[in-house]
Amino acid sequence: MADTIVTAVSYILPLFAIIVLIRCTKSMLGNKSQTEIWGYIHRDDGVSLISHWENLIGRSRSADICLPYQMVSRVHAVLIRSPKGVWRIFDIFSKGGVWVNGEKVHGTGTVVHDGDILNLAGNSVRFRDISEKQRDAIEARRTQTWRRVHPAVTLFFLTVFQALLLLELCCTAAAENISGIALGFGLLILLEWFCYFAMRSIRRTGFEVETLAFFLSSIGLEIIASSVPDEMFRQMIIVFAGVVAFFVLGWWLRDLDRTKTMRLPLAVISLVILMAVLVLGREQYGAKNWIFIGSLSIQPSEFVKVAFIYVGAATLDRLFSTKNLIMFIAFSALCVICLAFSSDFGTALIFFITFLVISFMRSGSIATIALAITGAGMAGFLMLRIKDHVAKRFSAWGHIWEDVWDSGYQQTHALSAGASGGLFGKGAGNGWLKDTFAGNTDTVFGVMCEELGLIIAICAVLAILALTFFAVRNSGHGRSAYYSIAACATATMFMAQVALNVFGSVDILPFTGVTFPFVSRGGTSVLACWMLLAFIKAGDTRKGASFVVSSPEAQTKKMREAEKA
Amino acid sequence: MKKVSLRAFSALLMAMLIVVGLFVYVIRYVKDGEMWALYFDESTSGCEYTITDRNGTVLAKMGSGVKSYAEDANTRIACYHLTGDYTGNVGTGALKSFQRQLSGFSLITGIEERDDVNLQLTVDAELNLKAYEALNGRNGAVMICNYKTGEVLCMVSSPSIDPLNPPEVLPDGAYINRCLSASFVPGSVFKLVTLTAALENLDDIYHRTFSCAGSLNVKGVSINCTGTHGEQTIEQALANSCNCAFAQISLELGPDIIAEYAEKLGITTSLTIDGISTASGNYDKDSSMSAAMAWSGIGQYNDLVCPYAMMRLAAAYANGGTVVEPSLLGVSDKKTTLLSSDTADKVASMMNYNVVYHYGTGKFPGLNIYAKTGTAETGDGKASHGWFVGFLNDDEHPYAFVCIVENGGSGLGAAGSVINTVLQAAVSK
Repeated sequence: MADTIVTAVSYILPLFAIIVLIRCTKSMLGNKSQTEIWGYIHRDDGVSLISHWENLIGRSRSADICLPYQMVSRVHAVLIRSPKGVWRIFDIFSKGGVWVNGEKVHGTGTVVHDGDILNLAGNSVRFRDISEKQRDAIEARRTQTWRRVHPAVTLFFLTVFQALLLLELCCTAAAENISGIALGFGLLILLEWFCYFAMRSIRRTGFEVETLAFFLSSIGLEIIASSVPDEMFRQMIIVFAGVVAFFVLGWWLRDLDRTKTMRLPLAVISLVILMAVLVLGREQYGAKNWIFIGSLSIQPSEFVKVAFIYVGAATLDRLFSTKNLIMFIAFSALCVICLAFSSDFGTALIFFITFLVISFMRSGSIATIALAITGAGMAGFLMLRIKDHVAKRFSAWGHIWEDVWDSGYQQTHALSAGASGGLFGKGAGNGWLKDTFAGNTDTVFGVMCEELGLIIAICAVLAILALTFFAVRNSGHGRSAYYSIAACATATMFMAQVALNVFGSVDILPFTGVTFPFVSRGGTSVLACWMLLAFIKAGDTRKGASFVVSSPEAQTKKMREAEKA
Repeated sequence: MKKVSLRAFSALLMAMLIVVGLFVYVIRYVKDGEMWALYFDESTSGCEYTITDRNGTVLAKMGSGVKSYAEDANTRIACYHLTGDYTGNVGTGALKSFQRQLSGFSLITGIEERDDVNLQLTVDAELNLKAYEALNGRNGAVMICNYKTGEVLCMVSSPSIDPLNPPEVLPDGAYINRCLSASFVPGSVFKLVTLTAALENLDDIYHRTFSCAGSLNVKGVSINCTGTHGEQTIEQALANSCNCAFAQISLELGPDIIAEYAEKLGITTSLTIDGISTASGNYDKDSSMSAAMAWSGIGQYNDLVCPYAMMRLAAAYANGGTVVEPSLLGVSDKKTTLLSSDTADKVASMMNYNVVYHYGTGKFPGLNIYAKTGTAETGDGKASHGWFVGFLNDDEHPYAFVCIVENGGSGLGAAGSVINTVLQAAVSK
């Protein structure tokens, strides 16, 4: 009887995974995004819209405000709106210079008011801010068509998915574990609906990013239920803490000025933490990346991932400063070196890939990237020479079947178990790979394939890709380059982890033993994933979608209150 | 911001790589998924099956999670390499190699947990027992097949262990099935290859005589013979296993022709039996025309041969040059022509001449046996490997065989007597 239920459910389950994935993707990418309007630039020959908080002015066609006049540099100036509504213009090393109402603009920028004349290398344009009323009127015109896919229905399908998982687990788990597993899934369902209604109550309707994270978390929870049912409750607490951290960080990111003040302190703290790990950390399975405080074990590098993006992203005016870039490169290099010294090769690689994307988005200069790659390549080579076990992992790559009991152990077992599950899996709790070494972390893709089938495992990877497409798509509409860069860097970090985890365990890449975001068992790593998610949420500027983005109405209200005070 | 959003597409590059990676994985899954899934025992633990010998004697049985082997301890030992064990220690064992027949796999459902699969092997466990007893603790291999149907009747490798009660200290190489997975210095059995090449390349071979003075000087190095054979015909040279004669023939043929025949006759290539790859042999071409080259045609120098390849060659001589590919799973319908029937018959008749005029039919009472001995020097100071290769010219018992007794001394004395014991048991069935 139980077997029949499990088999039947395992054939239905992928359907719900696909529905959830498609609905989320459709909702996130399905309709044209609408530009917000924050001001105008009146030229002699027309009007340019100011559609961001941070705008690049220049002759280049990729400038936000394109002034196709001679003498104007390709990238000439940056026009930035502060969260409080104050506009400021910066000269970014232009040849021709920038004047506001006849006064030259220097390093720290000049405040620009409605009606001011901006002079760029002899070309005059007029800046027009818009009043609160005008903005409200424009904002009201932004339709809400993107909400065609109702998030509550998607969440309902996810709940069915989770309930079916629970049903399978109830059939396969030992009797004494069933109550714990049921409690864990029950709490997860409660948590996601609570979050949904909390968002509704503050009139935020975008819930796809959270839904995808909850989808991955339910797979993660299934793997915990199957491999270490005793830890069900613990894992739920971690997910709960993660969701709280997600909201706190998201709320913090709402205010860009506030966000910017913490960049330097965070960079310093991160480096201190990484160095502390080098000194105080304990070695676990070849990598010295754990700190034990009493019975609590923490992987500090996971938190540094969040800090890395927080520090690495920058606003548009800073992007063109060489000093800022050099600081960032130095910070990244120190992070990677620390990680390499603690033999945390996987994390070092993730940082490096994320670094490449951040630096490309920041500067786009091939020379800087070439330098960085050369540096990292040499460091990597050095590590290979020094660290035998890292070299061993590389040498096992592509030869895993020649040594299935040692260097190829995890990969061959993951492949075998994964293939034995076919497209639909043997049923939650029915696998054996979860009991092998690091089965529920390093080779979690194999466990997914084995127990839930290839379709759901691929859905899990696609969920991360959906987040990426969302982040990339939003990058053009972000209010600040900071949010766009942070969102894309986060997506890249998630993808780097997925690539190393999945392709490492199936021998397409060398095996490095990193975690699959939200799915792999872990405390710190799951917590960090939820925090990183806040960056993606911050890039979502669809009207009334993201709690991280304050609505213009609210801002106007706030500003009026400030004026009164 | 436009610039930033354009550059954001660099993140999509990574996404694209992931999609490519997934495709690679899916393609590999379609191609190798079956091999992966069946590789580890844990994946197939839900299946139920029985492996029996040709008479229905149970060799291995798995059901409701219980794994068992043959009841009789001696049968377990004699059939260890045939059956393998549940841990997969014997790479060529049936439990591992025939996993596909024992538990099904499909790309859609993964492992299919079949019930009551019965895999009957062609081997006779009693013959295996006889062969293992006859080896009497010596390392070696015995393999017999029916050259008309391809069925393998006996496949034994020694040293062996009881998979149910494995010893604390494993005998050296106990996991290796010497019939399929090892190759040895062939010594004089390789002369069959040289002879085949000579018959097809030296026109006057039947009209020539070969003189033997006990040794032959090749470029200052002396090649010693097993005796002083005087003037011989080619038949006599083979029967005497005369090194002087075959050294001359080898030098006359040259390394290229011998290498070509070694490959053509399946000696130096890796063969497969029911999908199991066997060890390939070796023939190094020495083009200096020195003593080493001469030795290479006598089965010394760097020559290596897998016992299975030797049995297959004997089956080809027996069956007019065409071998019915041996199988452990049943009557085989795959045929390969190794040489012309004319040459095969000529070699066969000489192999009969060997027995009748040299080895003595008395050693093989009642058997119409065609064979060639080999006494291969191993060069490590130990006694030579004894080989015995051939077949029965008997319509009722068309058996080709090979036996090697490692460091057993003479081919006839050591390996020949083992084969006699097993064949007597086989024909009396």
